[in-house]
Amino acid sequence: MSKLRLSFLLPLLAFAVLALFGAIALYSTLSGSRDPAQLPSVLVGKPAPQTTLQRLRQRDQNNDNSVTLTEFRGQPLLVNFFASWCAPCRAEAPALEMISKDITIFGIAYKDRSEDTAEFLQQFGNPFQAVGMDIDGRNGIRWGVYGVPETYLLDRNGVVVLRHAGPITRGIIENTIMPALEDLGS
Amino acid sequence: MIAEFGHFALITAFILSLAQSVLPLFGAARRNIPMMLVAPAAAISVTLAVILSFSALVWGFITSDFSLALVANHSHSTKPMIYKISGTWGNHEGSLLLWILILVIYGGLLALGGRAMPIALKARILAIQGMVSASFMAFSLFTSNPFQRLSTIPLDGKGLNPILQDPGLAIHPPMLYLGYVGLSMAFAFAVAALITGEVDRMWAKWLRPWVIAAWCALTCGIALGSWWAYYELGWGGWWFWDPVENASLMPWLAATALLHSAIVVEKRGQLKSWTVLLAIMAFSLSLVGTFIVRSGLLTSVHSFASDPARGVFVLIILLFAVGIPLALYAWRGPQLFTTADFTLTSREGALIANNMLLIVATAIVLLGTFYPLGLEMLTGARITVGPPYFDATFNPVMALLMMIMAIGPVMAWRHGRTTRLRPVMICAIVGGAIACLALLSFEVGFGIGPLVALGLIGWLSASIGADIWLQLRPTKSADFSAKLKRLPRDVIGMWVAHFGIVIFMLGAVGDSLFNSEQVVRATPGDVIKIADRNVTFTGIQQVQGPNYQAIAAQLEYRDEAGNLFAVLTPEKRIYSAEQQTTTEAAIRPTMRGDDYAVLGDGDAQIGYALRLYYKPLISWIWGGAAFMAVGGLIAIFGRQRIIRHQNVAITGLAASDSHMTAASLSKGGKG
Repeated sequence: MSKLRLSFLLPLLAFAVLALFGAIALYSTLSGSRDPAQLPSVLVGKPAPQTTLQRLRQRDQNNDNSVTLTEFRGQPLLVNFFASWCAPCRAEAPALEMISKDITIFGIAYKDRSEDTAEFLQQFGNPFQAVGMDIDGRNGIRWGVYGVPETYLLDRNGVVVLRHAGPITRGIIENTIMPALEDLGS
Repeated sequence: MIAEFGHFALITAFILSLAQSVLPLFGAARRNIPMMLVAPAAAISVTLAVILSFSALVWGFITSDFSLALVANHSHSTKPMIYKISGTWGNHEGSLLLWILILVIYGGLLALGGRAMPIALKARILAIQGMVSASFMAFSLFTSNPFQRLSTIPLDGKGLNPILQDPGLAIHPPMLYLGYVGLSMAFAFAVAALITGEVDRMWAKWLRPWVIAAWCALTCGIALGSWWAYYELGWGGWWFWDPVENASLMPWLAATALLHSAIVVEKRGQLKSWTVLLAIMAFSLSLVGTFIVRSGLLTSVHSFASDPARGVFVLIILLFAVGIPLALYAWRGPQLFTTADFTLTSREGALIANNMLLIVATAIVLLGTFYPLGLEMLTGARITVGPPYFDATFNPVMALLMMIMAIGPVMAWRHGRTTRLRPVMICAIVGGAIACLALLSFEVGFGIGPLVALGLIGWLSASIGADIWLQLRPTKSADFSAKLKRLPRDVIGMWVAHFGIVIFMLGAVGDSLFNSEQVVRATPGDVIKIADRNVTFTGIQQVQGPNYQAIAAQLEYRDEAGNLFAVLTPEKRIYSAEQQTTTEAAIRPTMRGDDYAVLGDGDAQIGYALRLYYKPLISWIWGGAAFMAVGGLIAIFGRQRIIRHQNVAITGLAASDSHMTAASLSKGGKG
């Protein structure tokens, strides 16, 4: 009989374990130590998605009104998703300006209007070689962008090496992006 | 004013349901009839109060009362009326109120009906129902008040997420909730049984219609959700093994197991403790589903309104609603234990196998859904579990289930052998073999998976056909209609539902084997070849909708002979109020297969991205689900007819056995 009793206790024990897990997961989500949105990019190690975008009209204007990712092949490339409506994007502008001396940056304006993007660049500086307009965010989906700003480092063959979600800071440039870039150079 | 009235009605309902959950339990314990009678009276009053409260909220949405925070955040004056109404439950607070509404309606229905039930049992069941309603009302009132007013009234609302502005989604949540919440009835039955430690065959007989009803609604709800994902998300898929989909599939699997195991309790008085446990599990899984969706613990395409703080409340409800019954189960369960009086090769054996497989399937889905979360907490690693895992684990289990589904119904209780067993088995084997040969004749190189799937389709459909023929074939003593009349309705319901599985499988197999897909960048005038059709892209048009603007591609479909048979116009819509874009796939559904077209990015210079699919038989997937639900309905209404004829007196006070014998006598030895 005691063995029988024990087997009737099993569902409760199993539930207790599951509930404990749920509580811990919820607690860490609430306390901010865990962010369900921050998944590693599945793109790392894979070629970046094909991206052809409407080009934002800029000072060094040529007549071609679309811009393709493949144009930048042959050199390492930083792809930066940003938007004029996003505050952290303003915060990362100086850092991007700094790193633009070491690497070409392709900016993708995510869910933004061209006028606003142009104004944003005028106000906070334009570190980008070219800016493509991802007006409906479809390219963002293809890249797996969770939110702006998000930055990807591509090697000379267009393969994604690194992904950083959130604003770029001096520390991230020094500790993450530059080392990865040096690895690519060697 | 109306909103305040609705808020007041909800508070009243909350207080009443507290009374409903406490007094009847005391009454039942002390055999105090007036206290027990509080239960139905309170349940009906609560139902009325919540109906008023919900109507007040719907009224706010209909009249676009933007002084209500909820309306201002989720509605817009230019929205079509149907989406204003469905906007009521297109958000967390409103959907919670809908959940409560359905919950109390179930309680009210039981209070009004169930006349044959012993009064003590009914009082206990309604008390448990009251506890569940009270917790959810507290959830609504204390953390997510739908009647919150704004101090500054905006000129217009923020709109409803455009992806939710869709007829399929207007009825999908109510259907799904009807299923989720319906399982709360099974839960209340189970807990009431655990309080007394008594389960008898009548208990199962009263329980089953509720389970089948919930199961039907859940089937429809899941099918609608899958249909919506198919045509709205524009990926051409119909099931993504997404956490939220899994959250609805798990209670469905458990409810399927429950409605089968309840048959064993009803007909044979066996598997009592197991059935009680299943009932608790089924409802727990639907609470888990709510927990996942509302807490944002897992990321999903379906979670539109997630907030970890709400998760805390649902987790607390979950702890009480599952923890206490399972503790009761550990205490009372052994009392319900019966020693098996049947062999493994019997109807009971087949139903136990059915239950085992369904529970394994539930566990597989549970593991696949929560494993990433658990692993992350233990090691910090982040992984995603996708279709490959489910294909490799879930599908074989379902295949075994289909094997048994063909044989189980023709086995006899206890010992197993019937005269029908051998001919049905032979038919099933022949049917399976023919289906396999048919597949092989198509083309070589199909894998083992499709071969097994098609074999099973043949196996199952042949066995159902043979069973129908053997049971209904005209003989000298009785012709077809006489035999049909004599047959219990739930047997007919079972045939229809099982045949629904065959239809569903045909759709799934047809789509996965013969699906063709073309992704092109096209300029007007281009011709794209897909399957045996030629599609001409003739151009782009501007479309002005009620609350959106769109560009639509014109696609002319011609068959091999060059005859135009359809024009499809996939759209890309821009909703001005919400500043969002959605893709509207154009679908031409037919019995043979669907033409499916999606318009992507592009402009006149570089051309437009077009994704075209031809999906053979895919609509059979939802047709199959409809068959299953209809089968369930036949079983319920067939049973209602029998139950109505029983005028069992309210004598449940003394002992449950006295009324049981009376009822089973009047049942006339059915089954």
